[in-house]
Amino acid sequence: MEVMILMKDQVAKLYDELSGEYNFFAPVKEKGYVAYRKISNPKEIELNYFNSKIPPKEILFPQMEVLFEFKTDGKNVIEIEDRKDLDEKNILFGIRPCDAHSFDLLEKFFAFGDFQDEIFLKKRENSLIIGIGCNSPKSTCFCTSVEGHPFQKDDMDIFLVDLGDKYLVEGISDKGNNLIQQLSWLSKASKADTIKAKELAKKAEDLITTKLDLTNTSQILESNFGNEIWKEVSENCLGCGSCTFLCPTCTCFDVIDENDQYENRGRRIRIWDTCQFCLYTLHTSGHNPRDNNIERCRNRILHKFSYYPLNYDLIGCVGCGRCIQVCPVNNDLRTIINKINNIKPKEEENVSV
Amino acid sequence: MGDIESENQNIENKIKELARNLLREKEVDVIIGYKKGTVPLSSSPVFITREEDVDKLLWNNLCYVNLANYLAPRIPTLYDEEGQKLKVGIVAKGCVGRALIHLAVENQINLENIKMIGISCNGIINRKRIEKEIGEKEILETSILGNNIIVKGRDFEKTFPFDEYMNELCKVCKVKSPPNVVDSCVGECLENPVIEDDFNDISDFESKTSEEKWAYIKDTLSACTRCYACREVCPMCYCNLCFVDQNKPIWFGKTTDFTDIFAFHFNRAMHLAGRCVACGACSSVCPMGIDLNIITRKLEKIVKERYNFTSGMDKETLPPMMSFSMDDNQEFMLEED
Amino acid sequence: MSNPYIPMLTTVKNIVSENKVNDIKTLELEFKKEEDYNKFNYIPGQFAEISLIGKGECPIGIASSPTEEGSIQFTIKKMGTVTSEFQNCNIGDVVGVRGPFGNGWPIEEMKGKDIVVIGGGFAFSTLRSLVIYLLNEKHRKDYKKITVIYGNRDSGEVLYRNVLEEWKKYDDIEVVLTIDREEEEWKEKVGFVAPIVKEVGPSSNNAVAVVCGPPIMIKTTIAVLEDLNFNDEQILNSLEMRMKCGIGKCGRCNIGNKFVCIDGPVFSLAELKKLPNEY
Repeated sequence: MEVMILMKDQVAKLYDELSGEYNFFAPVKEKGYVAYRKISNPKEIELNYFNSKIPPKEILFPQMEVLFEFKTDGKNVIEIEDRKDLDEKNILFGIRPCDAHSFDLLEKFFAFGDFQDEIFLKKRENSLIIGIGCNSPKSTCFCTSVEGHPFQKDDMDIFLVDLGDKYLVEGISDKGNNLIQQLSWLSKASKADTIKAKELAKKAEDLITTKLDLTNTSQILESNFGNEIWKEVSENCLGCGSCTFLCPTCTCFDVIDENDQYENRGRRIRIWDTCQFCLYTLHTSGHNPRDNNIERCRNRILHKFSYYPLNYDLIGCVGCGRCIQVCPVNNDLRTIINKINNIKPKEEENVSV
Repeated sequence: MGDIESENQNIENKIKELARNLLREKEVDVIIGYKKGTVPLSSSPVFITREEDVDKLLWNNLCYVNLANYLAPRIPTLYDEEGQKLKVGIVAKGCVGRALIHLAVENQINLENIKMIGISCNGIINRKRIEKEIGEKEILETSILGNNIIVKGRDFEKTFPFDEYMNELCKVCKVKSPPNVVDSCVGECLENPVIEDDFNDISDFESKTSEEKWAYIKDTLSACTRCYACREVCPMCYCNLCFVDQNKPIWFGKTTDFTDIFAFHFNRAMHLAGRCVACGACSSVCPMGIDLNIITRKLEKIVKERYNFTSGMDKETLPPMMSFSMDDNQEFMLEED
Repeated sequence: MSNPYIPMLTTVKNIVSENKVNDIKTLELEFKKEEDYNKFNYIPGQFAEISLIGKGECPIGIASSPTEEGSIQFTIKKMGTVTSEFQNCNIGDVVGVRGPFGNGWPIEEMKGKDIVVIGGGFAFSTLRSLVIYLLNEKHRKDYKKITVIYGNRDSGEVLYRNVLEEWKKYDDIEVVLTIDREEEEWKEKVGFVAPIVKEVGPSSNNAVAVVCGPPIMIKTTIAVLEDLNFNDEQILNSLEMRMKCGIGKCGRCNIGNKFVCIDGPVFSLAELKKLPNEY
């Protein structure tokens, strides 16, 4: 498929043409940071940004989401109403490769096993990702350490490269190629454009300074569940949810029933939850399998770097660096991984913590 | 106004010296302080048990976490094998000291086991404001030169005057060192402090109309993601079961509907009335950059005006929300003539 | 693909109070739609997420056996918010059911073996399902000797009394009931479950032991079973965990890389020993 060009001042035209058929989500500037929002005016689109504060997982897996609604007769349920908006089509514009890869991880997770999360999967199926390469990765980015790359495009439908005043447009999936064909007014890219894109890719890769060696981490984690390193690593952790809420691959949620007794209706919703909260695993009997900070901190790291590889053959981290930037006590994931990699191999310890 | 850079150097040296002494003389088992952050505009709380690690301690105007927080909740680090509490040395700027004293007043900690390494805090940088003004450029390095904050990136350098760009709370702070109570403070301490606070920092907000205030609150708070970083970093939030987590009955929702967000923040602020020590940690750590201090400062002002009480100044005075005296102001109750 | 979070609607057909202090009730539920009943194919040991819609949802083991046709039964003890609401149910109320979930007892692998069923307290519900299934004339010949040992704190706490009486009438099943302390009207055994298991001394030869109960009972019983030469593969456990979705998506029921709601709740002792100690 041919590579095309989208001038930056044509982005509004792109929006106008697609917004009738699709919900158009794009990065906007909000209160001092960038967020992905459904826009109604192409002027809102912010094209100058590193990445959003909250990852774009929130477009398809929002902080608060209705599972179903219901009507009662005052006492008992008489009708359950399923979601009706899952067939709406979405365009996710301006997604970075790390976040695009997170959608692949999320899809595999929600589709795994005998039960599929239809709510997420249907929305995902109806979504088209127009991603963009990172010309200048941040110092906290480490996508190349988790099998990613600042110009990785496999998880996108259309891949853009910022060439300054224009974007190189490359169709990746069938969905993406079909859309590009629809946009017949796009001009063709020149040889110089594609060469510049390749140069930008190399330059971006060279700018990645954080390199983590994850070749043995999964195995080391499997045999060091009771190692005293977890105490050291979790010492200053506060047990808030910042790292997990801002993580593109975290999916844990809580389910809450809401009942409007006056209007005889209600809904069951899900909201983001985190293994870092002390109440997350608390049994009604009072027993808590992870009743201290050390165990909870350990669970997050194991989940991403041990359980994900064991269960889905994937690394559960995309290297976006958000958790590193946002942790209130600067509990740096890179430091933790390095400490784990440096654990001296010894007999498996069954020290219960 | 002295040179911030050299002040920091002095403070840091003093901290290290005092910490070393406390560990050497076995007066404490662990020192809680700050070490260098791995990203710009940050520091990281650190627990030190060995003398050779004391050099990790630092002071650099980015020490925004209130370390008293680590003493109130149960943390395995601070108990020995027999479950006895360890003796703790803690790097204490004024608000950390106030927090420790107030926690002692509320019977959560015993000051006898605590040595405050008192310092005269020269202010905390308003990291959220600087990040906002730098915008979408990556900050790679920050430093203090003279009285200025120098912020450097890949292809830019910007200077911010320190007086202007420190936390609003620090600008009006009257308690820069910990009050000395039961001789728990070594280093720089305040003896018999008397506080005159005119709450200038909120006069701007106070002068707004109700509609303007509500619009502002609605706008700032709607960004909240309910991560509870503000609650977890606050030394005064130590309830084993927070009111938002209760489910018998469910008092307030945990969703991001604005009514639920508003309910959480305003009820938390009410629970902090007469207890907040104005350390600003909540605003410094909020991932969405919400400035929560406007609400708590207003409550502090009301408490000061009504009860002439400032939290964490001495060990004797009971906080007004936890005690009752016959001559309490009761003009808010509908009484006879 | 349908929304896995939407419950099937059932109505309460019957309520039985199971214990003296009246905080354990067995609800018999009938599906409102026949197609839902036909879809709900379960085996003993599985659980369902049942809810009073608007009040909340909780995971409860299925107490009825699939051989008891027409309805399903759940035994609910008053513990927290939702289970307390269930105590106030009336006949005709609507209960939401999602399921069946979990792996259930390995009834295929258990074929041709002696089955030793050991229960303590109110955890007996899925064991009721298992024993009724095994005793059913369609399956009885697939299994050999059945021994049931069921212990409780006192006689008021014994669940499913009429069902237990029925079982005693069969001559190919040994039913041993015990309570912790002597009581005047109690004619059965007295003692904790573990020493009674030792006394009964089931043979470990070609046998499977199924153990359900409070943690201390499980621990002591396993020690006795090991003395009786049961190996780790022969001892089965049904674990409890806090759950919300029941389908392995909300994340909270994990033990290591396994989810109790999909890889469990039934685990053999061999499997448990491989998992980290966070349950």
